[in-house]
Amino acid sequence: MTTSSESTKDPESTARDPQGQVKQRTAKPLDGSLVLQARGIRKSFGIGDRTLEILHGVSLELQRGELVALVGASGAGKSTLLHVLGLLDRPEEGQLIIDGQDAWSLPSTARAGLRNKKIGFVFQMYHLLPELTALENVMLPAMIAESRLGFGSRRKEHRARAESMLERFGLADRMRHRPSQLSGGERQRVAMARALYHDPTILLADEPTGNLDSATGERVLELLFQEQARRELSMILVTHDLRLAKQCRRILIMEDGQIQSDSTVPIPT
Amino acid sequence: MYRSFLSWRYLVSRRSNLVGIMGILLGVGAMILILSIMTGFLEEQRRAIRGTLSDLIIRPDRLQSPTGMMLDPSPRPEPVLEVVRADPRVEAATAQLQWAAMITEKGKDFSRVFNSSAAAEVVAKEIVGIDVQTDLRLVLPALSAAMGVLGALPAPAMDQPIQDELDVTGFLDSLVGPEGKMGWTQAPPIPLFPFEYGPDKDGLRLPSCIVGEKLGSRFKLRPGDTVQLATAVFPPDADPEFHNREFIVSGLFRTDENEVDGKRIYVARSELADFISSGRPYSQILVRLDDYAKNGHAARTDLERTLKEKDLIFGPQFADEVLTWEDTNRPLLGAIENERMLMAIMLSLVLVVAGFTIFATLSMMVTEKRRDIGILSALGATPRGILAMFLMIAFWDALIGTALGGFIGVIAANNIDGIERWLSYQLNIQIFDRDVYLFTHIPTIVQPMAVAAIVGGAFLVSHLFAAFPAWRAARLDPLTALRYE
Repeated sequence: MTTSSESTKDPESTARDPQGQVKQRTAKPLDGSLVLQARGIRKSFGIGDRTLEILHGVSLELQRGELVALVGASGAGKSTLLHVLGLLDRPEEGQLIIDGQDAWSLPSTARAGLRNKKIGFVFQMYHLLPELTALENVMLPAMIAESRLGFGSRRKEHRARAESMLERFGLADRMRHRPSQLSGGERQRVAMARALYHDPTILLADEPTGNLDSATGERVLELLFQEQARRELSMILVTHDLRLAKQCRRILIMEDGQIQSDSTVPIPT
Repeated sequence: MYRSFLSWRYLVSRRSNLVGIMGILLGVGAMILILSIMTGFLEEQRRAIRGTLSDLIIRPDRLQSPTGMMLDPSPRPEPVLEVVRADPRVEAATAQLQWAAMITEKGKDFSRVFNSSAAAEVVAKEIVGIDVQTDLRLVLPALSAAMGVLGALPAPAMDQPIQDELDVTGFLDSLVGPEGKMGWTQAPPIPLFPFEYGPDKDGLRLPSCIVGEKLGSRFKLRPGDTVQLATAVFPPDADPEFHNREFIVSGLFRTDENEVDGKRIYVARSELADFISSGRPYSQILVRLDDYAKNGHAARTDLERTLKEKDLIFGPQFADEVLTWEDTNRPLLGAIENERMLMAIMLSLVLVVAGFTIFATLSMMVTEKRRDIGILSALGATPRGILAMFLMIAFWDALIGTALGGFIGVIAANNIDGIERWLSYQLNIQIFDRDVYLFTHIPTIVQPMAVAAIVGGAFLVSHLFAAFPAWRAARLDPLTALRYE
């Protein structure tokens, strides 16, 4: 859990190494506790009269603090799997256990609560609400989670927390700006702050740098990896950039709706 | 919390919402304004129908027995008046005698009138005998109000005061009581009131009468003129009798009721009874209650029962002898009520149109905000929460629209005359032709209950029309919404 005393520093400068190369990620040893278990996930879509199966019984497990890259060609089913794991898309078959709960058998309200508290999303297109300021966008998960009275009574606390997160992400002078007044990198950092607001167990990032130029993308990724490590987040990073995937400890390669390869990179000593 | 926060933020940041708000504002404002004017007009109509009618009218019936004998439980008005005046709810009561007569040329009686060259002009006039010496005050409210136009009471709205030379002091005293005196002037030359005998041009002493303004104008009658009335009576077992008598016109009256102003002539009841040689010197008892709205129907029932117990009337099983003024005009009043209802139904279509603007703007917003809906779902918003959020936008629309519309509608209704004059001046056309109506202003009545119903209706309609787009938003697949660009 982060607090309002989180230190402020420029993330875009710290993400860079002297050679401009992507750093080799280091990570703490995992404690082995599972935060997510997917078993036999099947998902298909109807196209006209035909049914196209996208996921053919995918199973995977995710440990606390694990950083996983999900790579594959376009149409391999990466995003669909991510949406199923993020409780946005119901699979036809299979079971999904998140923090010990069978997520898809929960009532929709409880599932929405699980999505709000336990799962953070970072999208390629940022997906910020254009009518809200950066600060309000970051506070949105709290607004959704709490009643009017509840939020009202803790408004200062929420504001302080959101401000602290934005400061930490180098957006201290952009809090009152609307998304349209922010650059792509700034928007993605706001989106990250929003995803991390509730200190989720799982962070699902769907090509978070796909819409950014490479320099900005690297800085954003650096920040994302820092937060992942600092918070011991279980994170699945969807990408088709193998170079980027290699920074993750575990790499899942998807092909034709199945995980073809699941490899773990040894912890550098 | 996000429902109210985001709904308000969407409301203020999307100008298209102004269309919805304006739709409701105009709908509510126009409906309040039009309904207030229509209520005012209908109330004027209702007042005109009531006209000179008193609260209650008692008409003791007469029946002819099989043997040919006339059964009349109340041949004289005094016993009935005594019973009626004993009721604490009764403020005043008086006897009245009504008959029909014609204005004829001097010297011509009823039997010869149809041979007259002016036969086309011969229409039966209503001749009404009243007791000005008795406790008549307040029995004829419209007449007493109309007496204002005689010049005795201030009548600022009248363009042409009628007969301001008439001395009506005594009559008005008996009509409206001392508190009704509002500084009229006593004007000679014909102090013939109430119904005194006056000299005609030939110096003969004639009974006086008051003639309806329109009737007077048709026959070119002025105070001091002589008018001959001809009538016929039909005794049960005898030939018809024809009578004619000359009266001196002591004044004209105006009730704003065409039927009355064009047909009625008031004379002293005793004079009329003598004129028609009637064995029954009254035809009805007029009763004024202290509070008709509160006691009208109960007093009618009680008086009917008491009069029956005292054998002064035959009772309800034979005939309706005790009537409220509404009973005597039930079909017309029903028509007015019907008109009001139809008007309300037609006007409610305005609200439906306002509802459609809400539907259109909200549908547009749901389409525009598809991506936001997906984001909110991804962040943990439930379909029900999204439904509530869009309904809240309709709520804000309705709240602002109805509040402003209600305010503007009420203000406009209360200042319609000024608005009409300003518009008439600006557009150089006469919007409200005061010559067409009997009133000099646009009558409006703002009914708080009607305003509340319109505002409540607008709220309901807004939410009903918002329900479908809101439901569509709630049903939106978050993934489809997120892919929407």
